[in-house]
Amino acid sequence: MTNPLLQVENLAVQFKTDDGTIRAVDGVSFSLQPGETLGIVGESGSGKSVTSLALMGLIPQPPGKVLSGRALFEGTDLLQLSQRQLSKIRGNKIAMIFQDPMTALNPFLTVMEQVSEVTELHLGHTASQARRHAIEMLERVGIPDAARRCNDYPHQFSGGQRQRVMIAMALSCRPKILIADEPTTALDVTIQAQILDLMSDLQRETGTAIILITHDLGVVAGTCHRVNVMYAGRFVEEAPVDTLFANPRHPYTVGLLHSIPRLDVARQPLTPIPGQPPDLADLPSGCAFGPRCVNRIERCSQEVPLLTPQAGGGCAACFNPVDSLTSGAIAMQGMQSLERLDSSGGSHGQ
Amino acid sequence: MDNNQQSNDQLPGTSHAGIMQPRLPIAKALGKPLLEVKNLSVHFPFYHGSWFRRKRAVVKAVDGVSFTVHEGETLGLVGESGCGKSTTARAVLNLIRPTAGEVSWEGERIEGLSEQRMRPFRQQMQMIFQDPFASLNPRMTVGEIVSEPMRIFRLHDSRRRKLEVVRILDMVGLNPRFLNRYPHEFSGGQRQRIGIARALAVNPRLIICDEPVSALDVSIQAQVVNLLMDLQRQLKLSYVFIAHDLAVVRQISDRIGVMYYGKLVELADAETLYIDPQHLYTKALLSAIPIPDPAVERQRKRLILTDELAALARQ
Repeated sequence: MTNPLLQVENLAVQFKTDDGTIRAVDGVSFSLQPGETLGIVGESGSGKSVTSLALMGLIPQPPGKVLSGRALFEGTDLLQLSQRQLSKIRGNKIAMIFQDPMTALNPFLTVMEQVSEVTELHLGHTASQARRHAIEMLERVGIPDAARRCNDYPHQFSGGQRQRVMIAMALSCRPKILIADEPTTALDVTIQAQILDLMSDLQRETGTAIILITHDLGVVAGTCHRVNVMYAGRFVEEAPVDTLFANPRHPYTVGLLHSIPRLDVARQPLTPIPGQPPDLADLPSGCAFGPRCVNRIERCSQEVPLLTPQAGGGCAACFNPVDSLTSGAIAMQGMQSLERLDSSGGSHGQ
Repeated sequence: MDNNQQSNDQLPGTSHAGIMQPRLPIAKALGKPLLEVKNLSVHFPFYHGSWFRRKRAVVKAVDGVSFTVHEGETLGLVGESGCGKSTTARAVLNLIRPTAGEVSWEGERIEGLSEQRMRPFRQQMQMIFQDPFASLNPRMTVGEIVSEPMRIFRLHDSRRRKLEVVRILDMVGLNPRFLNRYPHEFSGGQRQRIGIARALAVNPRLIICDEPVSALDVSIQAQVVNLLMDLQRQLKLSYVFIAHDLAVVRQISDRIGVMYYGKLVELADAETLYIDPQHLYTKALLSAIPIPDPAVERQRKRLILTDELAALARQ
């Protein structure tokens, strides 16, 4: 393997809230290889966005605080850089696109002003160079009649086109890393397919590595090379995409895969994960997934499991990982503990 | 194996219902028609041009939509945002006045009825909304939220109401101990259960579910989908299930209607729609939905709706 482009070690981020201090990200480590797409999957509140915001120095402090960790990119630790130093990297070597292209674009500026600003700032383009470059980028991402449309304001574009504009902006300086935080969640599925195709085409052309943050396992399956599954601020499973889907080891990953209906096979009853997502202010002792887990053993409530290599090439943070051959049976057991859980009351957020 | 599947297939609070069938829509003979919608149109006027020369134009949010919902049936409605799914639902319930068309409940015309004359029908047709955070009054306890519809429709005396609330909460998988808690104390999935309980409070026969699981996490979506399917079986409910996620809609629906730019472009049996889609937009939609299996995804060919194709699909 080549040297990783980005090496994140033991990242931890906390937030002060009314309910006390919570660890939104707790000891996350991963590496990103040049040209690959790394998926970070998790449900709301699992810490996937906070992970990426921390890398970009975008955690509001206070209430947030990066407690520990290193993020080595080209020999420097991103977490130690000042805002000024970071602003030279952001949008230049590491770019980011967000879920909602309407709030991420400035409604008072034309698309041209926003796209050309990036290269004026980072590549020292003159106004006319930047303008040419911007039109070229907008054409590349499939904005029809870009030379004319670029003088329009964001509200004059559709949702899918706005996300294309965001991608054009993000890729303007040929970044080494593109962080895409739920880039297609706000879009219709037919548009989502187009945007995802566009991202992988551009990746093939430019060799940009992508960190794709999403809750949608279908999107992961179609775009990522490697996947990290996140739960309650920790990575619970890490594997190459084929391994993760063919041979998931963490009971949470298995549970997620059993929760989603698949279009390509005959209808089967869904097997939900029992219980509710944990309250970060009041995490159970030991494994955070323990109370919802059908594979739970005694040790799970005493110690926090760490990522350990599994047969099949991935890693899972579990003391009693799922043997994929029996995962069907496990999914069924899930229903019994479901009943138990909810009758004991799973009130949330207190 | 099959046996296991059945006994393990239960959601909390539904265990008292005894042996459950596998949680899938069964191909069933259509019951008698409950809700009939014919040529429903909702047009919104808007104005453009300068202040002095205002021109009036209309957006055809819903344009000549017809469908029937039978007793005990789930009719799914899918389509992209802005295609008119929710407007159709609202027009059916008379929350928006339809511009044209007929809506009948068991043969009785209800479109455009006054609020007062609509009332008895409102008891039969309830609604569940997408956002479980916005659709519950934060100042009311769960008990108040669920008993309010009974009070409004003058169902039961107050003591009986309390018993009913407990029964319904249990039915949707919420611990009746939560009666005096407020919505903010619950997670998204639990709030959606409260919304379902409120809809059930008046013993409706049809529930219009407008994106009931889209705001929920994946692991919770499946819980709510299964709950809705169990309730349907127990209470012989009919659903109109609106969502943009075709995989979820297929899971719960007997028949599915596909909407595109205000028109119902395809209406078919759920399985048929997947095996043999007819309309260009349905085909594009099916090919665009990601499948959680990398091996399958690599093999797939997408039908991309280019501008020309989209124009063709709209005709």
